[in-house]
Amino acid sequence: MASTTLDFRRGAASGRAAFLARQGANWVFLLPTLIFFIGWQVYPIFRVLWMSLTDYHFLRNQPAAWVGFRNYANALADPILLTGLLRAATFTALFLPGMIFVPMLLAILVDRVRQPTLAATYRLILLIPAVIPGPLIFVLWKWLYNFNIGPIDYFLVQVGIVTPQTAPQWLGDPKLTLPAIALMEVWWGLGYHTMFYLAGLAAIPKELSEAARVDGANEWRLFWHVTLPRLRPILLVLVVLRFGTAMAVIDEYLILGGFNRALPTYTWTVYMWDLAFQIGDWFQGYAAAIGWIGAAAMLVVVGGLFWVFRSRD
Amino acid sequence: MTRRQLVGRALGVGLSLPVFGGLLAACSAAALTEATEVEAATPPAQAASTRPLTPTFYQWIVDLHPSLPLVNANFQNTTPLNFQIAPVQGFGIDRFVAEARDKSSTWDVYVGMTPFVEMSALIEADVIEPWDNYIPKEILNDIIPSIRNECTVNGQLYSWPFLLDIITMGWNKGQSDQAGITDMPTTWDQLVADGKQIMTSNTAPYGVVFDAHGWRSLAPITHSISTNVYTPDLFFDFNSDPALQALDIMKQMLAVSAPNVLNTGTTDAGVNNTPDEDAFAAQQATYFVKYQNAPLRFAATWPDPSQLQLGPLPKAVGGEGATVFWTTGACLFKYGQNKDKAAEYMKSLTYNDGIWKDSISGTPTSHPGQIPPYQSYYDKWSVNQPTWWQSWVPLILDQLKVAKAIPNQKFGLSQFQIGQSEWEKYLKGEESDPKVAMRAAWDAVQAEAKKSA
Repeated sequence: MASTTLDFRRGAASGRAAFLARQGANWVFLLPTLIFFIGWQVYPIFRVLWMSLTDYHFLRNQPAAWVGFRNYANALADPILLTGLLRAATFTALFLPGMIFVPMLLAILVDRVRQPTLAATYRLILLIPAVIPGPLIFVLWKWLYNFNIGPIDYFLVQVGIVTPQTAPQWLGDPKLTLPAIALMEVWWGLGYHTMFYLAGLAAIPKELSEAARVDGANEWRLFWHVTLPRLRPILLVLVVLRFGTAMAVIDEYLILGGFNRALPTYTWTVYMWDLAFQIGDWFQGYAAAIGWIGAAAMLVVVGGLFWVFRSRD
Repeated sequence: MTRRQLVGRALGVGLSLPVFGGLLAACSAAALTEATEVEAATPPAQAASTRPLTPTFYQWIVDLHPSLPLVNANFQNTTPLNFQIAPVQGFGIDRFVAEARDKSSTWDVYVGMTPFVEMSALIEADVIEPWDNYIPKEILNDIIPSIRNECTVNGQLYSWPFLLDIITMGWNKGQSDQAGITDMPTTWDQLVADGKQIMTSNTAPYGVVFDAHGWRSLAPITHSISTNVYTPDLFFDFNSDPALQALDIMKQMLAVSAPNVLNTGTTDAGVNNTPDEDAFAAQQATYFVKYQNAPLRFAATWPDPSQLQLGPLPKAVGGEGATVFWTTGACLFKYGQNKDKAAEYMKSLTYNDGIWKDSISGTPTSHPGQIPPYQSYYDKWSVNQPTWWQSWVPLILDQLKVAKAIPNQKFGLSQFQIGQSEWEKYLKGEESDPKVAMRAAWDAVQAEAKKSA
């Protein structure tokens, strides 16, 4: 009996050891990801949070002092930040519809091409802009939009719509700048976004559309009642992801608009960069507060988007 | 966890990436060091050398001066050299500052610093040290006094000057002749009148182009009226009468200029490759107000570059007749190494006859058009003029005698970037009163200064 109890205890102990060993092995495998996640994501986020609560100036050789929420209060009363957020929201409103509907339409058309070589060719052509590096795209479009030597204005002058003096200043006129950049972005992402929709369309069972046709549905009703509801998860992914990137655009603005505050490209992200790395003593505490305010504003909208695109099954 | 939850949470994380990416950018440099490490440690007088001399250059200098590799090759005959291009697009000095906070430096000397742009920040952040302990006395005394003054803070030379730029006027003589203009415009009124004549005679689409950045237009035009336009704390006084008068001159020039002349440039975050350059290069404009090397470089693309003329900046009637100059030079990294070697390198670079020959007379690939900061060169050339001598060199030197640098302070350059959107409202007709526009520019600059205070 005593021997049996001992064996049982020994068995339990060896079971625990095996369990711990298994757990330990799991943690070893998780470690690289954890290091990356904590070092690359968690630490910077909390570091920026800490900075936003101090008067941290990068060029100063003095310790940062705790200022509580003063940076946030000042930033919320800062007209440049509020204008910057409004400009970013305007760009997002211009960009998102083109990003949603044009690729969707294109995907539906390409999806109907049955000839395999032709279908592959369409997909390939659509994907070409997506594989060109961003800065190259921006420089290319900057040339296309150039007032003096750009082919768009040259064409408009040649066909007599405008004169060299009255040609549109695509990147200089505040009214044209954001639509011009949104057009570029839609072109750049066209193939990439179309692929998302094509993947979604491929997942829709063909029987559904065949059954709808048998029931007398026309193309419009087919799209509205069969295709669109089934594409809703893809829409959610695209809208949420691209909303985030559109609100936080900075590379395009720096390349196409620089630091000219009169242009609508001077948004909250450029302002944050300007404060953190260019102006005065590089007031990064204030810039960090601006970053958090921008992030919070975006997260509120994302919450709304999740609600709009919630499952209705 | 359901698939829907997984997708939802992944989206949440995905969305946060660009946002926190931006935040990360704002903190990445800061993360290199703790804020509490505050005591500026006294650097070693001469850190032990563990590497070859490592200079780093702003890219545009390398692009404009094709003789640079020859200078490096000659220097390398006696001293190991690791020549590099600096990560400073758009005058960004963040890498230098971040390294200095860590009491280290990848490089020994940076060639590309413009005193009024970034020197004050580099000094305050303890990134650079003066050259005084390393530069030979005879070289120090050879620097033209106004340039030496520009490069000096608290009696110490922080920038070893290399390339000189002065805001002047260039014009296309072929076009001015064609329009029946015989004299060089010497006043702003005359320049605007000549610009009108160019346009009314259909000689060129535009009369005058200028660079909209304040340090290249508003400040020099103001200096042509008066140089006494800086406050005791060295801010440009946008509310001063000369500045207001300069803004009015700019508005008159804009009326005979290319419609896009106020737009940003295509490189260096909009600072360089500006629309005025395109117009002058394409012979769409006859008169060009900018630093002297710009018309030289862009006239080189004309069918007949000899049509280019250079002249002093026009004056305002009764004005001082000054302009703006700056030098681009080298700074010595406090936590760098090879400091004596760095001084030797700078001597070999700035006293290299090949550099100045190519810069003044041009090469098949470029025409830098920049001149030496040393008096001895002009003394030598006045006695024995080289065959490649160009007639515009004395003009630039004469302009230097009356020119004034924008004072060194942390807002030296950025005050013009911050204020530009406000004073341009008057130029664009969005604000009818220049005083209101300039007051707004002043307020915008002071608001940023206050934030940083």
